[in-house]
Amino acid sequence: MVLITAALMYVAFFGLHVGSLDLKGASEMRYGIDIRGGVEATYTPKDLNRSPTADELESAKTIIETRMDAENITDRDVTVDETNGSVIVKFPWKSDEADFDPQQAISELGETALLTFKDPDGNVVLEGEDVSKSYASISQEDGSYIVVLELTDTGATKFSEATGRLVKQKISIYMDDTLISDPTVNDQITDGNAIITNQKDLATAKDLAAKINSGSLPFSMIANDANIISPTLGTDALNIMVLAGKIAFALVCLFMLFYYRLPGLVACIALLLQVVGQLLALSIPQFTLTLPGIAGVILSIGMGVDANVIVSERIKEELASGKTLRSAIDAGFHRAFSSVFDGNITVIIVSIVLIVLGSGSLLSFGYTLLCGVIMNFVAGVTASRLMIRSLSEFKPLQKPYLYGARRIAE
Amino acid sequence: MKTIQFFKKRYIYFAISLCIILTGVVFALVNGIKLDIQFQGGSVLKYTYVGEIDSEQAGNLVEDALGKPTNCLEQVTQATGQKMLVVNLADYESITSQEQELITSTLTKAYPDAGLEFSTSQSVQPSTGARFFKNGILAIFLSFGLILVYVGYRFRKIGGFSAGFMAIVALFHDAFVVTAVFIVFQIPLNDSFIAAVLTIIGFSINDTIVIYDRIRENKTLMGPKTSTEELVDTSITQSMSRSIITNIAVFVSITVVYIFAQIYNIESIKDFALPMMFGTVSGCYSTICIAGPLWTMWKNHEAKTKLKRA
Repeated sequence: MVLITAALMYVAFFGLHVGSLDLKGASEMRYGIDIRGGVEATYTPKDLNRSPTADELESAKTIIETRMDAENITDRDVTVDETNGSVIVKFPWKSDEADFDPQQAISELGETALLTFKDPDGNVVLEGEDVSKSYASISQEDGSYIVVLELTDTGATKFSEATGRLVKQKISIYMDDTLISDPTVNDQITDGNAIITNQKDLATAKDLAAKINSGSLPFSMIANDANIISPTLGTDALNIMVLAGKIAFALVCLFMLFYYRLPGLVACIALLLQVVGQLLALSIPQFTLTLPGIAGVILSIGMGVDANVIVSERIKEELASGKTLRSAIDAGFHRAFSSVFDGNITVIIVSIVLIVLGSGSLLSFGYTLLCGVIMNFVAGVTASRLMIRSLSEFKPLQKPYLYGARRIAE
Repeated sequence: MKTIQFFKKRYIYFAISLCIILTGVVFALVNGIKLDIQFQGGSVLKYTYVGEIDSEQAGNLVEDALGKPTNCLEQVTQATGQKMLVVNLADYESITSQEQELITSTLTKAYPDAGLEFSTSQSVQPSTGARFFKNGILAIFLSFGLILVYVGYRFRKIGGFSAGFMAIVALFHDAFVVTAVFIVFQIPLNDSFIAAVLTIIGFSINDTIVIYDRIRENKTLMGPKTSTEELVDTSITQSMSRSIITNIAVFVSITVVYIFAQIYNIESIKDFALPMMFGTVSGCYSTICIAGPLWTMWKNHEAKTKLKRA
C-alpha cells in the first residue's frame, strides 16, 4: 500500500513534470485565435446570384492557399464549407509581424486570381480565361499522372501559335506572381487540348488543375464574416487567465487542506493530476484551445473539487457515526460513488451534445469538459481512493482529526 | 444534526425566485434584450491610441467615408491605462475587409498623431449569426431533454420522471437567472452567454443529483413510513455542508477570474465570469430551495390522488 501511494504520488508528480517538460509542449499547444491573436475569415463569392459549385469552391481555396504560400503563412487552416458555399480561413497573426496588415491581407486573399502563361521572354501567351476546363487524369500511354487542359476557341488559336514558336522551350504558368508550373513544349498543339505530363502523384495533379481552373473563376471572394484579434491582445488575455487560474487553484487547495486535512491534501493531488491530464489531452492531439475551452477546464475542476468534497464529507460522517477509520473510508467512497457517477455522466451527456452540435467555441468547450470529467473519474475517484487508503495505513496518519472528524466531535 | 425544514418555508423561496425572474423580465421590457453581433450580425472594430480623440467626431468621419451609420466609443483599461477607440457600425449587415481598410485609413489620416493601431475587429453576417445562435439554443434544449431521460432512468426508484422534471425546472430557473444577469447588466448575449448557461446547467444538475442520490439512499434507510417531506428535508440537510463547500470553492475561483478580467478589461472573460458568479449561487439555491420542495409537493399530490382513487 505504501508502495502504491509512493508510486501514485510519483505518477502524479511525474505527470506534473511531463506537464512542465511539455510546457514547451504546452506553449506549442494550439490556441484559438481568440487567445493568440489571428484572423478568421469566411469568404463567399462576390455578386454571385447562385450557389458556387464544389469545383469552384475548391479553386477558390487553391487561390487562397497559393497566396498564403507566397506570403509564407504556413500555419493555417483553410476549409471549404459546401453547404454554405463558403471558404473558411484561419491563420495566426504573429506578434513579431509589426507591419502585418490583417485587413489588407484578408482583402487580397479573396481577389480574383490572375493566371498567365508566359514564354521565356516574359510575354503573356495565354490567360486564365482562355482555359475552359482543367482536370487531373492518368496518361493512356504510361499510366503516369497528368493534367489535361481544354482551351476555348480563341485560346486554342493563341496556344497553337505559341507552341509552334516555342517547341522545346518552356512555358511558365503564373498565378499572380507565383510560378505554379513550367512545362516544356514537346510539339505544337493545334486542337486546343493540352497535357502537362510528369505529375508526381494524383494530389499534385489535382492541385495544379485546380490552380489553373482558378484563372477562369467567374467571381472574386469577399469576407463578410471576419474576426481579427491582434496578438498582443490575445497573449495578454492568456497570461492573465493563467495567472488567475493559478491563484484560484491555490485558494481552492488551501481551503480543502484547511477544511479536510488529509483527504484535502489527497484531493489537491488528485486535482493536479486531473488538470495535468486535461492539458495533455489538449496538447497531444493538438486540439485548438479557445477561451470557452478554458471555461470548460474551470467547470471540470469544479466537478473535481465536488467529487472530493462529497467523498471527504462522507468519510467525516461515517467517522462520526462511530465506524473505524478503515471502514469509514471504504463506506465513504462506496456511498459517494453513485452521486459522483450520476453527476459526471450528466455532464458527459451535455459535453457530447456540444461536441456533436457545436462548431468553434462550443466544440472547444465540450471537448475540454469531456476530457476533464473523464480525468475526474480517473483522478478524483480511483486515484484518491487508493491514496487515502494507503496513507491511512501509516500509524501517524490514523488520527481522526486528520480526517476532519474533530469538528463533528466538538 | 437538526433537520432544517425546507419544505415548510417553500413559498418564501418560490417568492424570492419569482422576484428575481420578474426583475429580469422587467429589465428586459425596459432595456430590451441585446444580442451581440455574434448572433444578430454587424461589425465592430477597435484601435489602440494615445493622446486625445473626440470619439463623436471620429464616428462622423467614418460615417462620411463609408456611407453607413457609425458611432465611436472610448474605452480605457484600468490596469494599463491603454486607450481604445471602439467603432460600432449600426448596420446589422456586416462590412467587408475592403470597407475595414477604408475605416482604418480614414482614421489614421484624420488623427496622424494619435498612434492609432488596429487591434481587433469582428464582422458577422446576420445569417451566420442566426445559425450560430440557433445551434447554441438547440444545444441547451437538447441537453435538457437528455438529462431528463437520464435522471428519469437512474432515479426510477424515487419516481424517475417527476425527479427528472423537477431537476429541469431547477435548470430553467438557473438559466433564467443567468439570462437575467446578462439583461440587468446590459451585456449583449454572445457565445459567453451560451457557455455560461451550459456551465451553470452542468453545476446545477450535479447539485440536484447529489441530493436525489441522498434521497434515494435515505428512502431505503428510513423505511417507507417516513413522509416525503421528512425524507427530502433530511436528505437536503445531510448534503448541506457539501453543497455549500463545493459552491464556495467554485464561487471563489470564478470571482478571482472575474476580478482579473475586470482589471485587465478582458471582455470575453468578464462576460462569462459575472453571470457565472450569480449562476453558482442560483444553482445551489435552486437545488435546495426549489427542486426539493417542488418534488415533495408533486409526490404529496400524487399520494393524495392515489388515496382518493382507493
